[in-house]
Amino acid sequence: MSTAQVALRAEFFSQLSADFKKMPLWVQSTINSVIGMSILLLMWWIGGILIASNPDTEAFADFAPGPALAALWSLIGTEFLNETIISSLERILVGLFWGIVIGVPLGVMMGYFLAVRQIANMPFQFLRMISPLAWMPIAVLAFETWDGAIIFLIVMATVWPIVFGTAHGVQRIDPNWFRVARNLGADGFQMLRRVIMPAIAQDVFAGIRLAVGVAWVVLVPAEYLGVTSGLGYAINDARDTLDYATLAAMVVVIGVIGYLLDAIAVFLIKRYSWHAS
Amino acid sequence: MSNASPIWISDLTHYYNRQQSMPTLDDINLSIPQGQLTALIGRSGCGKSTLLQMVAGLLIPTEGAIRIRAHTVTKPSAKWNMMFQKPSLYPWMTVRENAALGLVFAGTYNQKKDRVEELLDMVGLSEHKDKNVQALSGGQQQRVALARSLATEPEVLLLDEPFSALDAFTRTALQTEVAQICHDQNITMVLVTHDIEEAVAMADQVVIMSHNPGQIVGEKSIPLAYPRDRNSAEFAELKDELFAEFETIDKAKQDKPFERLEVVRPKSTAPSVEKMLQQAS
Ligand SMILES: Nc1ncnc2c1ncn2[C@@H]1O[C@H](COP(=O)(O)OP(=O)(O)OP(=O)(O)O)[C@@H](O)[C@H]1O
Ligand SMILES: [Mg+2]
Repeated sequence: MSTAQVALRAEFFSQLSADFKKMPLWVQSTINSVIGMSILLLMWWIGGILIASNPDTEAFADFAPGPALAALWSLIGTEFLNETIISSLERILVGLFWGIVIGVPLGVMMGYFLAVRQIANMPFQFLRMISPLAWMPIAVLAFETWDGAIIFLIVMATVWPIVFGTAHGVQRIDPNWFRVARNLGADGFQMLRRVIMPAIAQDVFAGIRLAVGVAWVVLVPAEYLGVTSGLGYAINDARDTLDYATLAAMVVVIGVIGYLLDAIAVFLIKRYSWHAS
Repeated sequence: MSNASPIWISDLTHYYNRQQSMPTLDDINLSIPQGQLTALIGRSGCGKSTLLQMVAGLLIPTEGAIRIRAHTVTKPSAKWNMMFQKPSLYPWMTVRENAALGLVFAGTYNQKKDRVEELLDMVGLSEHKDKNVQALSGGQQQRVALARSLATEPEVLLLDEPFSALDAFTRTALQTEVAQICHDQNITMVLVTHDIEEAVAMADQVVIMSHNPGQIVGEKSIPLAYPRDRNSAEFAELKDELFAEFETIDKAKQDKPFERLEVVRPKSTAPSVEKMLQQAS
């Protein structure tokens, strides 16, 4: 390549990047997202080719994007897929519900009382670090149904981020807000509804966002055991029947739903956030 | 009820904790006249905020009592409202929502929506009603706090250095406005301030406090009409006189830093509740 050609190319790219920066921000971010997803697809595709070209792994060739997306396409709208998704979501939501019911009051106590914070901090940090899956043997003993055990694991996954998120929010409350509200004649319930809840909402939702992330990751392996419904079960079942295209399709479904759950949490955080940017 | 004092402070002494050798507030006796603005001045730490918070019902004195009309103050009420140094607005609410909060707590916002609008117009925030309060300047925020305090139609408004964080122009404008509101709406106001000029600009009378222990050592009336001309000779003279009183107290304090000052003040004897009720009827 001659120097002139190199210079020409350099100019072409600098022109391209200048044009790109002139576009509206949402266009830029959309283009970047598309690039990111394309890279992911490309790597998946290359991985598929490598698997297919190696005689040892040839049998798994259906993991590749082509067969997987075809399987996904034929699954969409089927009762099987709907039921699978619904039973997984149900477990997540019930677990999350109990995580919130237990976690928010605990977090409020921790944020409000220094003594509670000091007492609870070490044990909670300790418990938080234990993989929820490690509770599996205990959960199976303690709960009569597999569903109960799985929901227990979800609660163990969701409760800590919610506790710490809530406590963080409560600690950031300006004490003057209480004084002003009391001065304006607020009773206990009004204080909770108009001051405490809106003040901590965004931190609670930030905790819930982390909780949903952990819970979704924990759910799939938890569903490998015992139950006969849900995404984890579907993956395990596809493996047993050597239906690798469906298995890969399920992985895609898990990713998409996880992304959507996270997007909902992000929306709620934004909706209830009051910090001036 | 014409000129009877709405606020009586009688034999009030306060210790924050029992180990204190000196009370934070020492045998305070004071009556505040109706519909006027009384300024409370004194050095930092002499107990002005403590006294004001007790009048608001946010703190209970160790000894003595405060009465607002026929009520002995034991808890906060929207009838005697306090404005703090910081506006402390709720950042998740709009200007209107902040101003309406006292009415929302009282459950009367739906009947009194107009009052909130009028107050916001009065404090010059007509164009900002739907904005988030974080988008406002410090002076505008303090105006929202003022509207919020006035919305519940308090009989008594207690102001704890509400203008000290503002720039000079905004401060001067708000000082004039608040003194005006006090007399127009017949609200009894008590203003805590460090600033002698502010006291002379706003108050009908000034109460002077000394520290260690916190006690009232002087009272002075400011017989100037509103609006006040800060450049007039009378204004300057009153300011000088107040400064001079302060210096006398400081001198006396230098000699005996931790002793009561002997002050000859008549004890204001609060009428009994029965008598006040009689007067009211
Ligand atoms: N919560 C508290 N606990 C113990 N001591 C306190 C408390 N609040 C105030 N004090 C003390 O009581 C005294 C009076 O305080 P206060 O805040 O009433 O003073 P102030 O006159 O308002 O001062 P400033 O002009 O600086 O606001 C001070 O010496 C202060 O240290
Ligand atoms: Mg003070």
